Amino acid sequence: MVTVQRAIEMLGISTVLITVEPEESAQARPPRALCPRGFIAGHSLGRPNDEALQKWIVMDALGLLREPARPGEVVRRDYT
Amino acid sequence: MEKPLELSRYCVPFTPFVKALEESLVCLVTTAAVRAKTDTPFNVEGDNSFRRIDSSLAGADLAYDDAHYDHACIDRDINCVFPADRLASLAREGRIAGMTAEHFSMGYSQALRELRETTVPQLARAVSVARPDAVLLTGG
Repeated sequence: MVTVQRAIEMLGISTVLITVEPEESAQARPPRALCPRGFIAGHSLGRPNDEALQKWIVMDALGLLREPARPGEVVRRDYT
Repeated sequence: MEKPLELSRYCVPFTPFVKALEESLVCLVTTAAVRAKTDTPFNVEGDNSFRRIDSSLAGADLAYDDAHYDHACIDRDINCVFPADRLASLAREGRIAGMTAEHFSMGYSQALRELRETTVPQLARAVSVARPDAVLLTGG
């Protein structure tokens, strides 16, 4: 996944990744990444049909685009 | 002739984001093997192709082909891994300008060399042609 992200970023497009495998993602050095703590694969954006939670996570991820750069890092946040 | 230099994995490519989110078109890219219900299914055992997903489709118009992550959530709500409806809602609220005409999805594959050398560059170029201001990526 980070390989795809890095390739898109190299074409001059800003990217942000939502990951539930932060160690694996950090090793691959993502330009920007958010890990919603405690979520697992298949539940990257939390609970089914929880629109408010899913939009919160999407906006938090997009918000990383405007925050000071932390290239290669995975930002971990709680959503409970 | 020497090979062209390749980006070290210790180097992080970084494109500054200069726009406001409210003025930005967002493109979704996933590796969760999502597709339009009417499109050709992915091979769950391994598939190095990618699919284009019309961003006007709702989550209910989408399917996935996967045998590698937990499906309890996505079977009830595809936005758990592919938040197309949530982006559409954020666009209606004016918190983003909108979405690119197409989103993109890859499937599951262990053919890593072909992925790296063929699929990923092709996908990245296709994303670039869609002219997003920002790309949001999700895994399974």
